[in-house]
Amino acid sequence: MKQTLLLISFCLVMVFMSMAEVNAATRKSDVKSFTLSNGMTILVVEDQSIPNANMYLFWKVGSRNEVPGITGLSHFFEHMMFNGAKKYGPKQFDKVMEANGGANNAYTTENLTVYTNWFPSDSIEVMFDLEADRIQHLAIDEKMVESERGVVTSERSTGLENSNVRMIMEEVKGAAFRAHPYSWSVIGHQSDIDSWTLQDLKDFHRTYYAPNNAFVVIAGDVKLSQVKKLAKKYWEPIPAQPAPQKVRTVEPEQRGERRVYVQKSSVTSPNIMLAYHVPATSSDDYYPLEMLSNILGNGDSSRLIRSLIDEQQLATSIFTYFPKSFDPNLFYVYAVAAKDVSAEKLEKAVVKEINKVIKEGVTQGELEKEKNKAQVNFYRTISTINGKANTLGTYALYFGDYSKLFSAVEDMQNVTVEDIKRVASTYLRKKNRTVGILAAEEDSQEEDL
Amino acid sequence: MKIITLGISIILTLISPLVSAAFKIPEYQSLKLDNGLQIYLMQQSEVPLIDVQLTVRAGAVDDQGAFGLANITGEALMFGSGKLSKVEVEDLLAFHGAELSSFTDTEMSTLSMSFAAKDQKKLMTLFRDVALKPTFSAEEFTKFKKRYISQLTQSRESPRNIVGNLFQRMYYGEHPYGNPVSGDISTVEKINISHVKDFYQKYYTPNNSALIVVGDFNAKKIKKQLKQLFGQWRGKAPEDSVLSLVNNKTESGVWLVDKDDANETTFMIGGKGINANHPDYVSAQVINTILGARFTSWLNEELRTNTGLTYGARSGFSDNSTAGSFTISTFTKTETTFEAIDLAIKTYHKLWEKGIDAETLKSAKAYVKGQFPPRFETSQQLARLLGRMWALKLSDSIINDFQQKVDSLDVKKANQLVKQLFPKENLQFVLVGKASEIREKAKAYGKLKEMNIKTFNY
Repeated sequence: MKQTLLLISFCLVMVFMSMAEVNAATRKSDVKSFTLSNGMTILVVEDQSIPNANMYLFWKVGSRNEVPGITGLSHFFEHMMFNGAKKYGPKQFDKVMEANGGANNAYTTENLTVYTNWFPSDSIEVMFDLEADRIQHLAIDEKMVESERGVVTSERSTGLENSNVRMIMEEVKGAAFRAHPYSWSVIGHQSDIDSWTLQDLKDFHRTYYAPNNAFVVIAGDVKLSQVKKLAKKYWEPIPAQPAPQKVRTVEPEQRGERRVYVQKSSVTSPNIMLAYHVPATSSDDYYPLEMLSNILGNGDSSRLIRSLIDEQQLATSIFTYFPKSFDPNLFYVYAVAAKDVSAEKLEKAVVKEINKVIKEGVTQGELEKEKNKAQVNFYRTISTINGKANTLGTYALYFGDYSKLFSAVEDMQNVTVEDIKRVASTYLRKKNRTVGILAAEEDSQEEDL
Repeated sequence: MKIITLGISIILTLISPLVSAAFKIPEYQSLKLDNGLQIYLMQQSEVPLIDVQLTVRAGAVDDQGAFGLANITGEALMFGSGKLSKVEVEDLLAFHGAELSSFTDTEMSTLSMSFAAKDQKKLMTLFRDVALKPTFSAEEFTKFKKRYISQLTQSRESPRNIVGNLFQRMYYGEHPYGNPVSGDISTVEKINISHVKDFYQKYYTPNNSALIVVGDFNAKKIKKQLKQLFGQWRGKAPEDSVLSLVNNKTESGVWLVDKDDANETTFMIGGKGINANHPDYVSAQVINTILGARFTSWLNEELRTNTGLTYGARSGFSDNSTAGSFTISTFTKTETTFEAIDLAIKTYHKLWEKGIDAETLKSAKAYVKGQFPPRFETSQQLARLLGRMWALKLSDSIINDFQQKVDSLDVKKANQLVKQLFPKENLQFVLVGKASEIREKAKAYGKLKEMNIKTFNY
């Protein structure tokens, strides 16, 4: 899923347009929430537009909670949660869900593991039962662990085979973080995938898959009273656990540029990635950085795309990526060189555009455009029950309050051109960045930048 | 992530109409302007957005050897319109948060725009200008072509990007259904702006097009606006071209595509499928769900869950208006290439040898019905549905009779249909991987043709 996140720039924000009065778009007052006695919090959005509903379970565990030796374990666990529990044995979770008209998926990030169930609304009770069983009574079967190691190895390998972004990002993160767990990729090191033990898995489940470490959103053709009743019946009896240990390591300040190079002979033109350290999503600089990310690299009229792809024809594709994050993380710029353009030339052109923002700032018109785009994108997001569930959960976890979703455009209205210039000059500096190059040729002295 | 999808044919499968229990097509109006333009209007008011699309009955089948021409023509609509340059169009759209895109397929081309309902007056006019007043700027075309060729070259870095197109080319041979929609480097090199203008003149005409609007609008007002904007459009419809029949394969073949730094083999196996209008189309989807279109499908269970050979294995039908193909697809590390291929075939043969039992069929029926409604939840999804129905001449019954068709499928019929609809003999194979390590064994599956991932021509 990380792959998908990279390609989509999130700008999920809203404003109350005057037209909102006449349509049925979800508002803050449509979102209900309650917390079970074991600490599990559940949001409910009633929406009868289709006879379906969903259930998004956000677990506060991701690759940031790992240490060397068990890198990739959060993601592996995402797989193990489908491999059998007490009432529903191996393969039964999926078999029972699908026979009831439901489907599921899951994704793991640096910060979260998220399980998604989509089903006809009359199957809702089965979903509660299936989840309760695997949360409380997961059976970690040795044979299933071995088979799943193969699946995850294939997932890792197919990512590296088919995605240049994955290959280069793994190296860039490794260089940009030398202390904090964001250093390794979510899928983990192959040697750890090959060797973690049953005990590692058991400890991990007990620690992180406790109801007090979860946040749930249910959206669709359901009733709040019905959800409450089912949650009490199936989920409230699951005991809470001591809160997991906090992630202690803080990445030391970077004091100079770092560079990595990856050779892959099937690459036909160089790919470059620039990654700058930036603060966590909870920072006041979040919206200025988010808007800067869009002004630079989201859409045909953004600066990098207009200048490097259209005008100078140095690149065939460019995007920026600024993920939401619990701890200070990275602001990425990715570019693929056009035919016969060197990595060096492309990198210089990217840096030149960034420096222009640092020196001259952005225009009022660019800021206005980002605010307008955010309004319309908000409506696109909440036009599906899945968009609602995923976004509400995301805001609840990264901003500490789901209602921040509904004030996001107001928060963006307060951002000024000076703020954008300030964050650009604070964070997008040479000494604060890691540069990665992926190319077909061997890294040699003559090719050094 | 637990599941991913693979290959172009799979994407086609996902957007194929499948319908569930209570679902009927939401009410819509159909009208025809004097110039022959078909218009569909469907009101959806949950969010204040409008999706508009122009669908044209022209696609890669009309490329006439210039693979990529239909697709490039669609893209070229965005090189500037009326008095506005390309950059001015882009800036205007971005300022309003609107999105404009072109999508070309084997038999249809679609230009679509999504915007806020409050911008209807201004942006519907812009949409008309993009569709009907393209400037086809030569300067923009030159820049585009250079970039497009770079992208075609880059797409060969990933086996997943090319395996589906290669399979279609292999299966259909010279038949136009095998034309790669994005084109090929060698054919695109030869396309110039006058080819694009000619293609546009020939196919983008009112009686060869449908205009579809779905979203939050006032029907009376929008009808007036559309008549005003599109009523003066003139042009003669191209003559209906009749596609030749697809030649059935009389022997198995293997296309081995060498990627010398591959650490895994990506493969597709398949043969004859069914067309979009096939009377048993819905039943075929239900049966395929059991074989390879859900997590607990036989293929995924064997190749992923039981053996850990792959991250995911799937199967699906890819349908056109008069013919279709069927494929099984997955990937595995180089060393287990033939173990995975043999297991895929063995699992596929279970359809004939073991057959489908009552419990499995019941589950698959519940699954396809339960997963249907979210596919037609947004205005954009509904606009695409109407566009596809019009372009492929499908009736409302493909949606409205779906539940009845699913419900009426019993075990006996399902097992009969396996024999009629799924290809068993003369299967075709495309393998993308490290040829030096898989070449010898690959020969056992059929007549071998080898090519290089960087240099092959479609």
